[in-house]
Amino acid sequence: MTAMECKTHIFIGYYGSGKTELAINYATQLAGSSQPVALVDLDIVNLYFRSRETKDVLAAKGVEVIVSPGNLAQADLPALSPAILGVLQREGLKVVFDVGGDDAGATALGRFVRYIPEGSYNLFFVVNTYRPFTRTKAEIIKALRAIEAASRLKVTHLVSNSNLGGETDRECIVEGLSLVKEVAGELGLPVAFAGVPESLASQMEAELGDVPLMPLQLYMVPHWLREERWVITDPRSKLRDARGK
Amino acid sequence: MAKILMKGNEAVGEAAVMAGCRYFFGYPITPQSELPHYMVKRLAEVGGVFLQAESEIGAVNMSFGAAGSGARVMTSSSSPGISLKQEGISYLAGAELPVVIVNIMRGGPGLGNIQPTQSDYFQATKGGGHGDYNLIVLAPASVQEIVDLTIDAFDLADKYRNPVMILGDGVLGQMMEPVEIREVQVNVPEKTWATTGAKGRKPNLINSLYIVAERCEEHNLRLQAKFKQMAKDNIRYEDYLADDAEILLVAYGTSARIAKGAIDRAREQGIKVGLVRPISLWPFPYEHLAEVAQKVKSVLVVEMSAGQMIEDVRLALNGSKPVDFYGRLGGMLPVTSEILREIEKLAKGGRSNG
Repeated sequence: MTAMECKTHIFIGYYGSGKTELAINYATQLAGSSQPVALVDLDIVNLYFRSRETKDVLAAKGVEVIVSPGNLAQADLPALSPAILGVLQREGLKVVFDVGGDDAGATALGRFVRYIPEGSYNLFFVVNTYRPFTRTKAEIIKALRAIEAASRLKVTHLVSNSNLGGETDRECIVEGLSLVKEVAGELGLPVAFAGVPESLASQMEAELGDVPLMPLQLYMVPHWLREERWVITDPRSKLRDARGK
Repeated sequence: MAKILMKGNEAVGEAAVMAGCRYFFGYPITPQSELPHYMVKRLAEVGGVFLQAESEIGAVNMSFGAAGSGARVMTSSSSPGISLKQEGISYLAGAELPVVIVNIMRGGPGLGNIQPTQSDYFQATKGGGHGDYNLIVLAPASVQEIVDLTIDAFDLADKYRNPVMILGDGVLGQMMEPVEIREVQVNVPEKTWATTGAKGRKPNLINSLYIVAERCEEHNLRLQAKFKQMAKDNIRYEDYLADDAEILLVAYGTSARIAKGAIDRAREQGIKVGLVRPISLWPFPYEHLAEVAQKVKSVLVVEMSAGQMIEDVRLALNGSKPVDFYGRLGGMLPVTSEILREIEKLAKGGRSNG
């Protein structure tokens, strides 16, 4: 069975590792092979930049987003939709989980463990080596173990997703992958793929060796940020502060 | 220098650690909770103290104690929690204690919601609690600027023995951007006034109680002289394409970033528009704004509120130019195209009161 043939695909990791973007891209890729796909937004620890914000866009691509109904979608409540149990038991449906950050977020996953039997799922542990607390091999393994304990599931794959947001470059992706491979070697786990922004994907194909590349279309960048060409060091802006009058 | 990807909230925490802060007292509230989360982990690594207080009131008063004993200390919250802290902040100002206070603003009034707003401007810049006092209020517009201003905030708090506020909104707290992590030369001035145990010297007293009116007036006059000096020395702003602007936008924080997108698009159409972004909201750059506005035809203030900073803009311009307003409320963000539409109205000689 190849990774994609499993019923359930779970993206888990520390805050800012890129779980949401990866889960969305993975779900649209699954849907692209004309299978029914549901994306479960299990992020109940943080209320900004969640996959539920892309519900309509994803519906158009054949991905059903499962989230608390109506007004509850924006509530500051740890509320889970009853529809999650439905999609886990619906035959012929692939389910992608976008889990909340850290072990706190992974705790919500533990509630579904008895519907996710061993061998029926991929648990992708997503790592961005440019994020605090996952910058070294020891830190990454510590984070992975904490999340496994909270979710009561075993990680099946590592996913390398090293990035610096808008400043992501080739070097950052390659360096991140090399550290993730080291961790994978130590833990005896495969590296499922490496996330690469769409804009860099074509030039990086050859550089990742035996690790497949997942080109990422970024769904969570807010509208105003897409239009923004400004950076703080824009030569057109004049900054005055108390020191540099 | 090494860059890492950080959330605004985490960046406040890391900057505080870089600036030598080893004490954090807080109480969770969205959308700033990643800051206490970060401090739990980070302060443990550097031998500091994180304490989740029983409430916001507890947290601000623990900060009073820590600052009184000479420590670099921070507390944080979001709008409703900052309202709860106001009594304590007034006490900090009265007792002249250096504490860095972070407000990552969310929707109000009341419980409002957890979405980003800028509707605590009045509260932050006009005192906030009871009595005659001011905080230095710094408003970053990027995650890197959060780092830089937070480091400065600790130095300013110590320099003036006064609380300093970092004022951001939910978007800035939550968004991730690359930041440079650098070595900071931490220079904490000697705090001869701190209550560190009076062995071999006269006891110090940290206090804001002055029962005799004459003494309380003297205390207030001294504070006012200090605030005057603080106001003189700490004006910060950014000008963006303001030199030849005929239409001037004034916005801070996230609104300013969105406004810049609209300005770029208006410039492509040949409309001469620029921006003044106040970085210090107190002291407000009144004189600078008046100077830049001399050459412009009209001024548009953009805020994520019903219009609060606009009052300071009007004070700065003193009736010399028409001042219009575009704002979104309740956690809604302005959109580039909406601001562009308002700029176009002004360019055609109309008014904008979106």
